[in-house]
Amino acid sequence: MPPRASKRKSAPPNSSSVTSSDGRSVSNKAQTKGMGKTDRLFNTHVNSSLGMIDPEGIEALCADLGVDYTDVRILMLAWKLKAGKQGYFTQDEWQTGLKALGVDSQLKKELPKLEKEVEKPSNYEDFYTYAFRYCLTEEKQKSVDIESICELLNLVLGVQFRRQVASLVEYLKVQNDYKVINADQWINFLRFCKEISFPDLQNYDANQAWPLILDNFVEWVREKQS
Amino acid sequence: MGGSLYQRIEKECEEHISAALRSLVGQSPDLVVFLSLVEKCWQDLCDQMLMIRGIALFLDRTYVKQNSNVRSLWDMGLQLFRKHLSLAPEVEHKTVTGLLRMIESERLGEAVDRTLLNHLLKMFTALGIYSESFEKPFLECTSEFYAAEGMKYMQQSDVPDYLKHVEMRLHEENERCFLYLDAITRKPLIATAERQLLESHIPAILDKGFMTLMDGHRIEDLQRMYSLFSRASLDSVLEESFSKNEAFCNTIKDSFEHLINLRQNRPAELIAKFLDEKLRAGNKGISEEELEGTLDKVLVLFRFIQGKDVFEAFYKKDLAKRLLLGKSASIDAEKSMISKLKTECGSQFTNKLEGMFKDIELSKEINESFKQSSQARMKLPSGIEMSVHVLTTGYWPTYPPMDVRLPHELNVYQDIFKEFYLSKYSGRRLMWQNSLGHCVLKADFPKGKKELAVSLFQTVVLMLFNDAQKLSFLDIKDSTGIEDKELRRTLQSLACGKVRVLQKFPKGRDVEDDDSFIFNEGFTAPLYRIKVNAIQMKETVEENTSTTERVFQDRQYQVDAAIVRIMKTRKVLSHTLLITELFQQLKFPIKPADLKKRIESLIDREYLERDKNNPQIYNYLA
Repeated sequence: MPPRASKRKSAPPNSSSVTSSDGRSVSNKAQTKGMGKTDRLFNTHVNSSLGMIDPEGIEALCADLGVDYTDVRILMLAWKLKAGKQGYFTQDEWQTGLKALGVDSQLKKELPKLEKEVEKPSNYEDFYTYAFRYCLTEEKQKSVDIESICELLNLVLGVQFRRQVASLVEYLKVQNDYKVINADQWINFLRFCKEISFPDLQNYDANQAWPLILDNFVEWVREKQS
Repeated sequence: MGGSLYQRIEKECEEHISAALRSLVGQSPDLVVFLSLVEKCWQDLCDQMLMIRGIALFLDRTYVKQNSNVRSLWDMGLQLFRKHLSLAPEVEHKTVTGLLRMIESERLGEAVDRTLLNHLLKMFTALGIYSESFEKPFLECTSEFYAAEGMKYMQQSDVPDYLKHVEMRLHEENERCFLYLDAITRKPLIATAERQLLESHIPAILDKGFMTLMDGHRIEDLQRMYSLFSRASLDSVLEESFSKNEAFCNTIKDSFEHLINLRQNRPAELIAKFLDEKLRAGNKGISEEELEGTLDKVLVLFRFIQGKDVFEAFYKKDLAKRLLLGKSASIDAEKSMISKLKTECGSQFTNKLEGMFKDIELSKEINESFKQSSQARMKLPSGIEMSVHVLTTGYWPTYPPMDVRLPHELNVYQDIFKEFYLSKYSGRRLMWQNSLGHCVLKADFPKGKKELAVSLFQTVVLMLFNDAQKLSFLDIKDSTGIEDKELRRTLQSLACGKVRVLQKFPKGRDVEDDDSFIFNEGFTAPLYRIKVNAIQMKETVEENTSTTERVFQDRQYQVDAAIVRIMKTRKVLSHTLLITELFQQLKFPIKPADLKKRIESLIDREYLERDKNNPQIYNYLA
């Protein structure tokens, strides 16, 4: 989920950064006429010196859209925009992404369309993987800390797989073997929720290629149940 | 004519036999006396029937033979005896009871008339009633007897004694079959005894005793346990098919192996330690054959150890100490053990160990030439004897480098040797292992001159006192440069042990920062040459843990290498097959969970990936 404004980090390079006298980028100005409401939305929240929406702008954007800034739909938006940097939307990303979504009118009204888009089976796994990558804020970072993972799990899978997520989150917080989660483990959490019957765990076989953390999780659940 | 003669003989015999048996009824309340009467009765019958048969031999050979439904005279006698015995059931019953009581008495330690037992049981056999009338109740009795005894002894004795007792009992019962029981009773008898004495107590025995035996290196007792357990299963399933037999036997073997390896690496460590004790000098009173026998027994247990690399690490460490400090009881015994290990595990296992021996022998030659060399003759002061073990890295355990500032003279001597050695073997690099060195110092105590056999570190400390009467701990630390913990240990050995060459102030077992040491003016000892280097032979707990840890670390590398090797060849492989291959290739025990850990680590390091379409499959990433 997008960070709060206080976690300001260096912004990614802006691809369209020719500034005119009024501080707005040239291409922006040119496109204002042609594009619709979405562009205006972008311009409302853009950080003019950066030429892109920054964390503060995103918070404001959320208010505009009538969603909490922790809402999963902002993450979905980031995914659709293929946002490269957590907390920032470049103009390129904005325009390309929303065009692909086929959104022209008020973004607020189009949020359900966004949700449907994400939930398409062909997209969902991509979105899910993206959610993890979105949290890799440092340059060579490959893993995410347990607490953030728990929040992310709740955000992304909490509705569809409520019980599994509740149990898994509880486990992640009490176990000591792992302090961070990597991409491989992350993707297997989804697979686990989709494939394994819960809470009976009947079809889970530790002899298969499940990551060890899930073997341990299953053992923990089974012990609790007995 | 034959027929009527036969019938009349039969009639006579019957009258006589029935009378004889009837006369036994109500005879003698004393069972042993009664049994003698029965025996006499039977003996008489046998004698008489033999005589009758002798007289009426012609009858036997003609009439009987011609008529198939007619028994021989002897058999007729037996049949009559059997018939009338069954008509007097109390006689039969009393006889059986008497026999059982006698056997029970014997089991309880009394002397009994075995001949009597023998004859009567033969009678039962001859009458064809052995199994039904005697064996059945006998086995029941045996079962009850040993059930009770088993429980009693298990409570009273410790496991090794119990097992010895069981062994003795089984031997006894076996003897019984030679002495008076019919041979057909052996199998069921032993099975019964084993069932009551062993099988019903296996869990308790293992619970109570197994670990104690392991901890106490009780090799013989463990041997006994194993052989008793495996026999117990063998005998009880001998009736069943061969395959079931083997499976059961394997189950016992597997359980034993499982138990031994339950304690992770302790068995490997303990067995190595046990061998060290046996192979070390100071084992007086043990003959060569005894030692060989012990080594063979140890090998039996060795076969069960799964983590043989742990054993190798400990064995190597101890062997090195023995060789370097000259503590082997017998080089022949050492070499014998190596060749036994070689036969068990192949030459790869023992290559390094053999290399160690070669180094020792080669060092002897090197030292010989060193003595004769110009360097030694000209530069080494007379009265200094120096010998050096030159070790090939890789054969020997890795010794952590330990710093020490040697006194000037010792540095000089080391350089002299180095010069000599490199003149013969150019291009080699020598690294002094000062932690392993030892010296004999000539010490001048007021109460008498002594020779002190000490470690090199102890030497360095002691030599400081050539120039000073009193030194503080910190002074010594500065001058010698010896690492803190090691220095405290060294000083402890010199000032706080049995042999106090130095005195410590204040007194106390541990060396503290503010302690001071002085040369012990009043030192005295009965012997001229005194050993003060007990420390080097003792292992520290840290040494043991680090040895084990190094083996585990090494295993991790081996697993990683194996995974990469396999995946590189196969390119694509399922998880299950990969695990199977790994278990085949890896020679040490490892849990599937640990294999998963290494696989995930390699996924993280991008050596392999999970297949996008089939999560059970791994792809090799070139």
